This record gives sequence, structure tokens and C-alpha cells, in this order.
Amino acid sequence: MSYSTFNRKHFDSTKEPMFFGENVNVARYDQQKHPIFEKLIEKQLSFFWRPEEVDLSTDRKDFQRLEAHEQHIFLSNLKYQTLLDSVQGRSPNVALLPIVSLPELETWIETWSFSETIHSRSYTHIIRNIVNDPTKIFDDIVTNEEITKRADSVSIYYDRLIEMVNLYNTMGMGTFDIPGRGEIEISMPKLKKALYLTIASVNVLEAIRFYVSFACSFGFAERTLMEGNAKIIKLIARDEALHLTGTQHMLNLMASGKDDPEMAIIAAECQDEVRQIFIEAAEQEKEWATYLFKDGSMIGLNAQILGQYVEYITNVRMQAVGLETHFATKNNPIPWINAWLVSDNVQVAPQEAEISSYLVGQTDNSLDDSDFDDFDL
Amino acid sequence: MTQILMTSTSKKEISEKQERKGQAVHRVLLGKKQILVTEEEPLLIQLERAGIHVEYQCREGYCSSCSIKLLWGNVIYPFEPLAWVQSGYLLACCAIVKSDIEIAFFD
Repeated sequence: MSYSTFNRKHFDSTKEPMFFGENVNVARYDQQKHPIFEKLIEKQLSFFWRPEEVDLSTDRKDFQRLEAHEQHIFLSNLKYQTLLDSVQGRSPNVALLPIVSLPELETWIETWSFSETIHSRSYTHIIRNIVNDPTKIFDDIVTNEEITKRADSVSIYYDRLIEMVNLYNTMGMGTFDIPGRGEIEISMPKLKKALYLTIASVNVLEAIRFYVSFACSFGFAERTLMEGNAKIIKLIARDEALHLTGTQHMLNLMASGKDDPEMAIIAAECQDEVRQIFIEAAEQEKEWATYLFKDGSMIGLNAQILGQYVEYITNVRMQAVGLETHFATKNNPIPWINAWLVSDNVQVAPQEAEISSYLVGQTDNSLDDSDFDDFDL
Repeated sequence: MTQILMTSTSKKEISEKQERKGQAVHRVLLGKKQILVTEEEPLLIQLERAGIHVEYQCREGYCSSCSIKLLWGNVIYPFEPLAWVQSGYLLACCAIVKSDIEIAFFD
């Protein structure tokens, strides 16, 4: 079967599975199989923000005052986050839109991916503000071995699914000999397995991989350093928490068999593999923490504490998708991070929600006594 | 309620005061600890007030970070949370306790 941008068949989309049913035709939301996805869309839209809202002029001065090893921690995390959001800004669209079958889920995927592009733009906003030559930082993302290692693990499942769906759309079912790639078998169970593992790996990306970096950003902000950056990271963390709920719903719906009975069988078969995806990601993140602190720690954080945090958060995330926890760490070693991750103190005033052009925080952060010279009382 | 083994007089005072006001007070068992909670506020904030650290993030029902095991007893959600709540678990940030309950963190 090949993909159609407007499926001419007449069918009831509430009878379709989330993926690999009919291609969506009418983008309608009056009848929904899984209304949760429209609720996620509404929530995501209510979160809308722009990086330019956050003033970073103080961050520039802070950055120049950081020690070399702290600058390494800060920039490396930014590079890693840039990589993650580069992948997330496009891959849900490229991989999932050709196979999605529910209008509300299709629109959630687009809304989700779009919010990741805001994150990508915010990294440029941060980098432009703190260094004179952003090129050096961006160029390093594709050459730095520590980063590229991670690029492989975050893109491998997406790439495999995209390759298989391309074959399925052009050739249909069967085993195909692809030059340079060898034999690839395309069948519905194989496609569904590739999809399930992809969603699991995306869940891991958004639920675990960001968090070492988040912890460091908030670690700086605890010392009143790089606070503009922390404000942006807070907004990103709020979005990511919502995205991971999206993939948790997909995984749990699949595993429950309520959406597609065949998917429940595949989910059960994949359970060990999914556990491994979680555990391997946690190990990679612990290695990443070691790389970050190779030349020195920062106050309140070191590779060991961050490693324990990774183990703890991995347990929390595994539990959320119905897996048994893996790591011995049962307590959050950096409980202060939650006060930064909480979204109820992200300022949203009515005028900001209603007037799209309204910018918050557009105040001048650099004031000195001479600014008050022409004031007379 | 009068059979509850009180661990401190202040808790007893709270529960008596609230019972006089006609508010339901429930026991939350957590390992060897026992906390008294009302139906006025979600569980999370009352656990925190009792000095118990619970993992949290969004505090409005979408991130599932505060998901904890509900071994027995009833809770309700005034608003259906966006997060998926696994069976046998509750979301502390938005769950209102409606009976005596027993909860647990990780195994």
C-alpha cells in the first residue's frame, strides 16, 4: 500500500488502530477514539512560549566568569540537548505521520514535534547570547565523539522504522534485498515491532536523556548563575514532561490491547528489549555525566550524584510504563531539582496568553546608578 | 476514627478538630508510618506537610512523576489527570483520599 495525503475511502476512524490502519483523511475531532491526545494538544498549546521572551544578558556575564571546566559542562549539555531536539523536531513527523490512523493522534504528533522546534530555536538563542562564535559549538555536535555516540542511539530506532515504512509503502510486504543493507523482511508484525521499539526509545529520550542536562542547568541556577538559561530549561522541561506522557499513553494503550490486539502481543514479546532500552540509556547517561565532570565538578553536583539521579529517574519512568524497576536507587539524591522542574511557578499572565505578540521578561537587566540621574523628586 | 492509634497529640488534635467540623479524616499507611489526611486537599501536599518526600514535577496531573502504589483503599480525582495512571497506583498530586489507604514507594 502507498501513502495518500487524502485517503478517499469512507471509513470510521474510531474503529482504526492508532497506527497502521487507514491513512487519515479528514482532520476532524468531533469523534475521537482516544480523546487524551486532543487533551494533550490543548495542554501543549496552553504552554506556548518563545525563547526571545527570556532575557539572557546576565547569562553572558555569568558565562564569562565560569571556570573552564564549568563552561565545558554548560556547553556540552547545550550541544547534547541541541542534538536531542534536532532529532525530536523532525522524527515524530517523518516516522509517525505516514503510518498514523487517528486524526487526534496525527495532530498531537505535529503539535509535539512543533514544540521541539521551539526548543531548538532556544538553544541558538542561548548560544548566540553567551559566545561570540556559535559556529564552533554547532559544528562540534557532528564531530564530537561523545555526542555522536549518543546520536546513534537516539536515531537508530527511528531510522529503522522509517526505512521499513518506506519499503512497505513502495514495495508492500515481502523480503527485499537492499543494496548496502542486505535483506530486510517487511511484514505487519515486524513493522509493529519496529514501531513499538521506536516509541519506547522516544519515551526514554524524553523521560531520561534530558535530565542530566536539566540537573546541571538548575545546579548553576541554584548558585544564581545562568538564570536566564534555567528559565528556558524550565519551559523545555515542562514541555518534555507532557511529551513523555504522550509516549506513555501510546505504549500503555498498545500494551493493553485496547487499541490493537496484535500490538498487545508484540508489546509482551518486546518487554525485555524495552527494559534493555531503558537500562542502556541510563548507563549511557551515567557515562555522559562522567564526561561532563572529567575536568572537575560543580558545587552540589558530581558524576556520582548525577549517576544516582539517572538511576532514580529511570526507575520512575520504567514504573510509569508498567515495567519493573531496575536500579537499587530508591530515593532522589537531588530532591531540590523538583522545585525547578515544577511548572506551577512558570509565570503565565492572562495578557500573555491572549496577545500572541506580548513578550514577558523584556526588561533591561543592566541598571546602574547613572540611569536614575534625570529623576527628580 | 476513635480506634486510631495516635502517634502524637497534635495529630489527635487535628483529627478531633476536623471531625468536629464534619470533615472526614483518613489514615494513610506508608510502611511503618501513619499519616492523617483530609479530603480537603490532594494527597501530595498533605504527605509533604508530614515531612515525607514524594517525587513530583508538574503537580497538575500530567507528568506522572508522583505516581505511587495504592495497596488498598479508595482515592478519587476531581479532574481526570492527563497522565496514564497504572492500575494499583495513584497520582499523589491530584488524588483525594476517600478512605483509609495504604501506599508504598518503590519495592
